[in-house]
Amino acid sequence: MGNNKMKKPFGGIVLDSSFRIIIPFTLVYGIYILTHGEYSPGGGFQAGALLAVGIVLVRLIQGADKESFNITGAKAIVCAGVGTFIYAATGWLTLAGGGKFLDYTFLPVPMHHWGELHALGILMIEIGVTVCVMMTIIDIMDAIIERLDADEDEEVDDCER
Amino acid sequence: MQVLILEALLLLFLIFITVCILISKDILACTIIYSAFSFCAVLTYFMFGSPDVAFTEAVIGTMSTIFFIAALKKVDRWCK
Repeated sequence: MGNNKMKKPFGGIVLDSSFRIIIPFTLVYGIYILTHGEYSPGGGFQAGALLAVGIVLVRLIQGADKESFNITGAKAIVCAGVGTFIYAATGWLTLAGGGKFLDYTFLPVPMHHWGELHALGILMIEIGVTVCVMMTIIDIMDAIIERLDADEDEEVDDCER
Repeated sequence: MQVLILEALLLLFLIFITVCILISKDILACTIIYSAFSFCAVLTYFMFGSPDVAFTEAVIGTMSTIFFIAALKKVDRWCK
């Protein structure tokens, strides 16, 4: 079967060498896009997509058996929920501080300049968006690959019968 | 003027790539050409002055190419 032949070898000298350079750069660049998104193009969604590209590349290079960042579908779903919770919790914090929902001026932290408060609040909701987007993309990838593997097993069973 | 010519070239190239995707019979080739479409769209967005959208398109273009190729394992490669 051609598929089994394609499935077995992950890695190789070129892929492993480029893995050491590309993956750390991608992940650090994603964090940079997230934290520097206020002054330059970028933000929560882009940072999340970039981090997810890093994780998916790890999966493509090393395979599901010995991948370095082992985030499976179930963990990814939970983390996506956590990201959404971070977003909502920022809004609830401002409610607790006495303002409206997502009104950053009322964040209950000891800073008095409204600019600092706005920067902090936007950073918090962007962290939430980043985690949610990243984990959702990883979960979509996991779902596609898992479904393919399941279908393949069924086909093998059919052939054996 | 040169910028206008470049923009026109990029837009023409986008149309050309789309026609190529439409007439191609090989779905794997369609996917690869689609990533070229994504790259040209990135250049177009960048030229029209929205680096934010261009960045998103670059990342999502890479992402969707991976997804399409992963999904292609299940689908028949040649369309009749």
